Amino acid sequence: MSDPVSLTTDRPGQVASTTPPAPGRSRHLSDRWLAVLFISPALLLLLAMSVFPLLWALYLSFTDYSATRGGPATFVWFGNYTAILASAQVHLRALTTLIYVVGAVALQTVLGFSIAYLISRRTHGRGLLTTLFLVPMMLSPVVVGLFWRFMLDAQFGVINSMLGSLGLGQVEWLTRQQTALFSLIVVDTWQWTPFIMLIALAGLTAVPKYLYEAASIDRASEWFRFRTITLPLVWPLLLIAVLFRAIEAFRLFDLVYILTSGGPGVSTETLSFHVYKVAFLGFNTGTASAYGILMVLIVIVLTQLYLRYLNKLKED
Amino acid sequence: MRYPKRIGRLSVPRRTAHLATAALLVAAMAACGQDDGANSSAPKAPATIPELTKDPLTLSFIWFDWPPAHALETFANAEYTKERPNVTIKVNTVPNANWHDAMFTQFAAHKTDFDIPVLDSQHIGEAVTNGNILDITDFVKKNIDVKAYNPYLLAAYGQFPQAETGKRDENASLYGLPLLGDTWTMIYRKDLIGDTPPKTWDEMISVAEKCQADNPGVSGLAFHQANGSDAAAVTYNTVNGLYGGNLWDAKARKIEGVINDAAGQEAMDILVNKMKPLTAKGSGNWFIDEVNAAVAQGKACIAFNWIAASGALLDPKQSTLGSTKEEILDKLGFAPLPSQKTNLVPLGGMGMHVSAYSSKEKQAEALNFMKWFEQADIQKKWAAAGGVPARTDALESPEFLNAGPFNKVYTESVPRMRDMWNVPEYARLIDIENTNVNAALNGAKAPKDALNDIAKEQQSVLDSSGRKGGGGL
Repeated sequence: MSDPVSLTTDRPGQVASTTPPAPGRSRHLSDRWLAVLFISPALLLLLAMSVFPLLWALYLSFTDYSATRGGPATFVWFGNYTAILASAQVHLRALTTLIYVVGAVALQTVLGFSIAYLISRRTHGRGLLTTLFLVPMMLSPVVVGLFWRFMLDAQFGVINSMLGSLGLGQVEWLTRQQTALFSLIVVDTWQWTPFIMLIALAGLTAVPKYLYEAASIDRASEWFRFRTITLPLVWPLLLIAVLFRAIEAFRLFDLVYILTSGGPGVSTETLSFHVYKVAFLGFNTGTASAYGILMVLIVIVLTQLYLRYLNKLKED
Repeated sequence: MRYPKRIGRLSVPRRTAHLATAALLVAAMAACGQDDGANSSAPKAPATIPELTKDPLTLSFIWFDWPPAHALETFANAEYTKERPNVTIKVNTVPNANWHDAMFTQFAAHKTDFDIPVLDSQHIGEAVTNGNILDITDFVKKNIDVKAYNPYLLAAYGQFPQAETGKRDENASLYGLPLLGDTWTMIYRKDLIGDTPPKTWDEMISVAEKCQADNPGVSGLAFHQANGSDAAAVTYNTVNGLYGGNLWDAKARKIEGVINDAAGQEAMDILVNKMKPLTAKGSGNWFIDEVNAAVAQGKACIAFNWIAASGALLDPKQSTLGSTKEEILDKLGFAPLPSQKTNLVPLGGMGMHVSAYSSKEKQAEALNFMKWFEQADIQKKWAAAGGVPARTDALESPEFLNAGPFNKVYTESVPRMRDMWNVPEYARLIDIENTNVNAALNGAKAPKDALNDIAKEQQSVLDSSGRKGGGGL
């Protein structure tokens, strides 16, 4: 048996290299190199599929490169970045995206938490209900977009048909400025409320029962128990769900593409949809790369601020 | 027994990490620089078709998903294989909205899974400038009877720079040959408005207005309004042309002050304030299929659609207008567009081209296919199979004229056609026009503002070639 002291060192890498190789292993293949060998396929894949494209996009973002025009990529340095940040077109898309993210995530949080709260109070059929509520989340956004497009059709759609049977007029869900963005929020909410619900439900079921029992003994009201026990304990978990949803909603593309194509006009064009147009209508690869990098930076900065808030909340 | 207190992180020296990052950056730059020597103009096809292979070969097209694409695959596999039994024709299709992207992303990769891209006439400029398709001028001179075509059709589907005057420039280079001709047809309900179609655009609007008032539940008009593809833009361009407007001054590359002149403003006013109120509620995102559906369901008095997509209207399975084709034709009439200040109609249709990235073997086969396809008897057979040919003899042949009730409309419309800008910036120009016309049609912008925005934004695209950074915004 080898010396047990060597295993408890604070510098295992160094010690490992002095460990004699197992019988049948090459004398030159130390533990360290074996570890490198094991992680290298995953590392290479990560480098090729994530790090390399990101670095390439970063390089292209400082050039006027076009994927179809070919020719040398001329450095424009921060020209693309300043043009994007100063563009009124981009500001308009940023505002649309902001309204969409805030509207969709707020609605999903309220609904998701409410559904989870109601389910958590049930003793029978909770599993079945949870599974049924999760179905929309499992569908492809393209499929969801297509069938909602049919349902929201002003002439033949089932929604207007139902409104008609109630004596209400037809609504142009996807072709009016006032309703198109709202329709996108509704469809996104239909699909992603279950995600918030699932996380909220996990939080709700983790709240210790004895806290409620103690509150009952003290004859605390339902509202008091919710406000002082349930919400504070579920809140941090809910905020993480909100973070995930906000990041997802920020890069919304598929639903816009299928449901409205950014219309009417450009009133439902999100930042991601605009990047797609810049990248593929005219193939302004340099500008599109800078646009993408800026979007990543925004997400990183906002996420960091949010995580700090979460940590502070945890410490408090 | 004692256990390790913690597993240490595998330490990678900082210098190594820096070197790895630098290597990645260099690799990225090197990979990007691979295009440095790329061609910026189209490579030339041989004048004579090289020797063809006797091995099995699949010749692939790329087109968008609509009936003519399926008709072409069936027709070519039935007829071309009589001459070349070792060849299979495959027409790959993508949704209309992805058509441009599907072709040009592959062009960007300098590798295509298609040999014959079917380009919209306005895509030619972008493809030629980037060197994506072959220059077939010498091949055409030696193998194609150019006199058999209406010169404008030959120019529209193959020539670059564009036939600005509407006449073919015999000295210009050719990059494609016609595959499918097309234009808009007016579809009208004979049982609702009578057998005689309106002769002028103003009269057409009055007739549609009366028809809508007399027939509750039926809208006066149905036309393309969507903001995808070129839907809303073609609608505006058609009205613009009929009311005497111009899209641009091609020689001076000037759009501002041309498209939004008095004639352009009048056209936008007619479209938004007179035509739009006669359409169905929620039709602001309608394109080819939705217009056809409205006609087939008996929900429109007068509609406008591409001829090549009108065949479905005669299918009793898809129509409530009759249980046979004859019954449907008792109610539906097809006519060329009414004229107004001019008689211009939109040029549709597409040409076939040869991918610069196909193998030599497949390029040779593609050239052979094009030569075969443009023969007089094959063009007539294509017409009988549901295609719209471009050769004058085929257009006037009974095979074509009797193949569909709308084919006569096409033959009559050929001398009236006008195309859009055929420039490398086309994709951006059409998006600007589409989104703004769609915004005006759906109340998101005042018509005058929309037209002025089109002029301003399109002009800035044409003027932005020397700009440092921010191209495409």
